[in-house]
Amino acid sequence: MSGAEQQPATPKAARAPIDETPTLQIATTDSAAETVEHYFSESQFQVLERLSDIIAPPISGVPGALAAGVPAFLDFLTSQSSAHIQNLYRDGLDALNHQAQSRFKTDFKGTTASQADEILAPLRKPWTYEAPAEPLQAFLVLAKGQILQGTVNSREWISVVSKRDRRASGLGTYWHTID
Amino acid sequence: MSPTYDVLIIGSGASGGMAAYTLAQKGVNCLMLDAGPEVDFTRDRSLKRVYDLPYRGFGRPGQFPHVTQASEFTANVWADEKQNPYTYDPNDPYYWVRIRLVGGKSLFWGRASWRLSDYEFKCKDHDDFGDNWPIGYSDLAPYYDRVEPLFRVSGRKEGLPQLPDGVFIEDNSVDSESVKRFVKSCAAVGIPTTKGRRATGQFASSVNLLLPDALASGNLTLVSNAVVRNITVDRNTGLVNGANFVDRRSKREMHAKARVVMVGASCLESTRLLLNSGIANSSGVLGHYLFDEFYVKNIVQAIVPELRNGSGRHGVIRGGGYIPRFRNLKTREKNFIRGYAVDFGSGGTPDPTYFPLYGEALQKEVNACKEAGFEMTAMGEVLPRFENHVRIDPNVQDAFGIPALHIQARYSDNEHAMARDAMDTLDERCRAAGFEVLVKHSQMVPPGESIHELGTCRMGDDPKTSVLNKWNQSHDVKNLFVVDGSSFVSGGSQNPTLTILALSMRSSEYVAAQLRSGNL
Repeated sequence: MSGAEQQPATPKAARAPIDETPTLQIATTDSAAETVEHYFSESQFQVLERLSDIIAPPISGVPGALAAGVPAFLDFLTSQSSAHIQNLYRDGLDALNHQAQSRFKTDFKGTTASQADEILAPLRKPWTYEAPAEPLQAFLVLAKGQILQGTVNSREWISVVSKRDRRASGLGTYWHTID
Repeated sequence: MSPTYDVLIIGSGASGGMAAYTLAQKGVNCLMLDAGPEVDFTRDRSLKRVYDLPYRGFGRPGQFPHVTQASEFTANVWADEKQNPYTYDPNDPYYWVRIRLVGGKSLFWGRASWRLSDYEFKCKDHDDFGDNWPIGYSDLAPYYDRVEPLFRVSGRKEGLPQLPDGVFIEDNSVDSESVKRFVKSCAAVGIPTTKGRRATGQFASSVNLLLPDALASGNLTLVSNAVVRNITVDRNTGLVNGANFVDRRSKREMHAKARVVMVGASCLESTRLLLNSGIANSSGVLGHYLFDEFYVKNIVQAIVPELRNGSGRHGVIRGGGYIPRFRNLKTREKNFIRGYAVDFGSGGTPDPTYFPLYGEALQKEVNACKEAGFEMTAMGEVLPRFENHVRIDPNVQDAFGIPALHIQARYSDNEHAMARDAMDTLDERCRAAGFEVLVKHSQMVPPGESIHELGTCRMGDDPKTSVLNKWNQSHDVKNLFVVDGSSFVSGGSQNPTLTILALSMRSSEYVAAQLRSGNL
């Protein structure tokens, strides 16, 4: 090659000498890919999407549960949960569809806002420390808490709200395996 | 050939750490064994975003069914329940919360530091239930006086007989207006309040306040990852002479020799160790009289109304305080004996699940109540009763083949009545202070969840009804001492760590003196 050595147009990050132990920059799975839903049936998943949107809708530019990918996350979380939780979710989602069909001749996904409100009346009962005895109410109370937490713990929600409120950074001290 | 140490200390948390601190500085040659690894605070923790965790902060489902304190951030600090199993009757769940690291639970304790009083040490004299301790407040007060400065305890002196004052970093901070209103509301019906009393500093643990001085003396050898299997006994003398342990990482079986053994492995682990060793139980009460303090978390969640919609003035919120026991001090006032204490705090936003709403209506209400909360947790005395106990489960072993514990504990009517009284009283005081009560309940957490498990190896003057004498020394085996919360006879409603530290210091000074005089 004649003349001066050609330099790259954009300098790359400094590379560690090959004899040093490198620290590689690793991306998280959520930032690079989508969850493949596999646990709930298609109809159950549709109910979960509708329920998530009702409980945690987008408000004033803050992402809601759907933008936060909560239904797909809960599909994954429930798949690893106890049989009791799995039954609560599956039966609860089926029950919402069943109630929508019997009351309004549509599935839960197709209900209007006021129809959904009627079905979700158990969520308007006063809080109790113990989980409610009635299965649908118990499911709704559990799902409400998980949908809300799944939303506010999401990258999408935190990236917006942390710009307005420094306490919403989602940062915590993580303890690695100690050995 | 391995050395024979003056004292083998089992456990490195508050009690074991204080034993090492006291003995090593008096020239006693000590070996300390701890079942866990040491923490490297630079290497073992880092800041992470919750959404970067594999379970988005929820934690792996089922990983810690009995550790409600565990989060996905802290999952690696709690003892693995599969490696370290225990059993209970399914109708009587027990939440045994453990940490197996050098420093033990002192790495993460809440730092609340209260003295016991003669309402606890001489409890039987007050209400004829249970047993008195073999010591009184005056026996332990000089040790409290030395532990508090060491742990830099802050507080405010009040002159309350049920909550003796200490050697404090004076807390003269000004209460916020909401706290003043609640304090006034309590005072109106004769309920005392005070500032919290807490160990201060960036860190307040055995690993920064106790073990460094012990190691610097040159008289402490600290070995981590040493899971003690049993304490060994010289068959000729009947005295203990060391312990068998297994190296956690290699599973290599080892034995350490010592003239005296001091056990501070945490309340139930210490008793498990004695039971597995088959020692110190001529009384038959080893394992019995298990108790703790019950918690009713967020017993009342209130709203300070003038703070709704962000309209509060500066100085209305923040801060908190403590209600010491006030029931049954002079007369038998209620349908229960003993009493409860309360932690209260101003500020914070109520949990959205408290509101019977969803969607935009929920968000609107949560926003309206942002930083307007006033919450409190009640902590009540659990009566020590013989039937609440631990024993070895012959069918279950841990990952090292060491027999596991079966735990049998249940609250009595006394605790239930106390919890209801706490709820009603605090609800009334909040309303009298002008707060809106959002929710209230009287549901106690399961036994064990307060992480204040106590008893099972109790002190006493009578060898037929107790395991240890007034020096935390086994009645049966004179060179065996147990210095943690298992030695408690009763616990009151005060957090126990300060008393554990004082007891361990007192016992350790006795051991040092006995070694010097050739009695051990």
